[in-house]
Amino acid sequence: MADALDGGERFAGAWATSTGGWRIALTRGSDARVLACQPADRRLDTVVDMVGAAVWDEREAHDLYGLEFTGHEPMRALIKHPAQPEAWLTPVTGPGVHQVAVGPIHAGVIESGHFRFHCVGDRILALDTRLFYKHRGLERAAEGLGPDQALAYAARACAACAVANSVAYAHAVEDALGLEPSMQLRRQRTVLVELERAYNHLNDIGAVCAGVGYAAGSMAFSALKDRAQELCSQAFGHRFMFGTVAVGSGALTLDAGAADALRQRLRELRADAGAAWRDLQFAASLQARLEGVGVLEHDRAIQFGVVGPAARASGVLGDVRTASPRLAYEGFTPAIAPRGSGDVASRLQMRAVELETTWEMLDELLAAPLVAAYTSQRERASSLGIGRVESSRGETVCMVELDAGLITRLHLRTASYANWPAVAAASAGNLLPDFPLINKSFELCYACADR
Amino acid sequence: MFVLLSQLRSLRRSTALTRGSTPRWLGIRHVDAGSCNGCEHELGLVTNPLHDLQRYGLDIVASPRHADVLLITGPVTTRMVEPLRIAYAAMPTPRLVAALGDCALGCNVLGHPDELAGPVERILPVDIRIPGCPPTPQQIASQLLAALERPADSGQPLAAATAVAASGVRTDGERIRD
Ligand code: SF4
Repeated sequence: MADALDGGERFAGAWATSTGGWRIALTRGSDARVLACQPADRRLDTVVDMVGAAVWDEREAHDLYGLEFTGHEPMRALIKHPAQPEAWLTPVTGPGVHQVAVGPIHAGVIESGHFRFHCVGDRILALDTRLFYKHRGLERAAEGLGPDQALAYAARACAACAVANSVAYAHAVEDALGLEPSMQLRRQRTVLVELERAYNHLNDIGAVCAGVGYAAGSMAFSALKDRAQELCSQAFGHRFMFGTVAVGSGALTLDAGAADALRQRLRELRADAGAAWRDLQFAASLQARLEGVGVLEHDRAIQFGVVGPAARASGVLGDVRTASPRLAYEGFTPAIAPRGSGDVASRLQMRAVELETTWEMLDELLAAPLVAAYTSQRERASSLGIGRVESSRGETVCMVELDAGLITRLHLRTASYANWPAVAAASAGNLLPDFPLINKSFELCYACADR
Repeated sequence: MFVLLSQLRSLRRSTALTRGSTPRWLGIRHVDAGSCNGCEHELGLVTNPLHDLQRYGLDIVASPRHADVLLITGPVTTRMVEPLRIAYAAMPTPRLVAALGDCALGCNVLGHPDELAGPVERILPVDIRIPGCPPTPQQIASQLLAALERPADSGQPLAAATAVAASGVRTDGERIRD
């Protein structure tokens, strides 16, 4: 493991199997490989001393598959919800230290999850997040199904990332089966992934406005997001583009007229979104809240294995779109963080900058009609496959293991899962009333993490 | 703010929303009981300028203590049963329960049986059912209104709704902020 990391490979996720096996996925560019072992007595050495990003993966394997990791101390509960506070809380003591408990039910229309703040006065010393209230056991429920049936379990893990999760799943199965997507299939999947990014980024900019109580901004961006989803519905029949991705093929079609109509509507949306974004720059009461808040420094972003716009906002380069031979991203260069300071302002700007690239790409991709597309057999089938997609929140990795054509293990490690630990890290030292804003600047899905 | 406000104004003009006719007020508290986040995304939009649920006197409130309707999404995971019951118990009466989305209604639910305790009606009495995966903001708004405007002899849910809607006052009188 140490050799792999020294050799420039990146940790991309780890998962246990129902027979007590342990797998670690490593990536370098578009290459991915998996280290596998079958530890005796379900006990093995931890890697968290080398890979900070593996903390949740090991805690999950401990809770769901009973693996023990020597050296991972203390092993705190992640998915299970034990009653005793010491089983999951960080001990924080000292004069004036008190706890503030929030959730699982929140005040807005928000997903369920619990936050336990350790504070002195209004200042957050540390934050323990207790998620997985929404754990539906989707991965286990998919076991024993055929690859086509199991797709729904990846897709409906999260609506807002349904396309990214489905495409990552389709890539994983196609990787295992030795199938290679045609150029047309890459194109149509890229259109879907970028449309999903467009409506999510519009949503997330509005969410930051909501996080500071700036109603004009949150309402304007909510309406822009709504319009983007309506375009998805008109073109592909569903506002979250459910049912548009299949394993091994793509049935989506858009004739020249429909593609051009979508392109024109997107141009109008882009113009309105651009004007709204420029206006936000002059909203003093919004801007005054953003700078220097919720800072995630460059080194900590690397330590936690943060991905996506949140990582890039901390100056960590990396975007799976530069290494996605299964999608149509030839010549893609990731947006550079305008600030790279890792604060709320930086994460907000990152989304606006990326939105521009997304509009640009969609405009190019929709210059020609979309036609039904397929995969072709390129390699021999194997029992394991990995798929990676840059969702609107960052790198999402899907792993499948197959036996006799059926899924024996499906694991979805979404960008939200990768980034949740960073929310707690970025909140420490800030004021409690700034937490909603910091949280919104990451805008992670609970459903994606909980599965 | 000028551009934002003028965008919002022109949206309002182009959607030409009608005003609600009956004066009333009904508070809705949302509880996510294990959704895929799709129902939340759509519910979050019903108060935007394109749909403007508030014009009918319906709004999303911050606490079950302020709410007349408990609006539940998701298949109800085992871990959400308890918080859901607590939220329901915290509401003043009369109160209504709405199940939003196919998962909450028990249709096409995905997941492992060990982790799921739903659908909603297994845990709480459901008065309003809003199907869809997810229902669009338009559907959410119109179904909520339709449920509240059912004729007076169609049963218990409506009686409770009318009592709350017409008076705008709850029987317990007191509100506790938390
Ligand atoms: S009904 Fe559909 S959109 Fe709503 S929570 Fe269930 S799967 Fe998600």
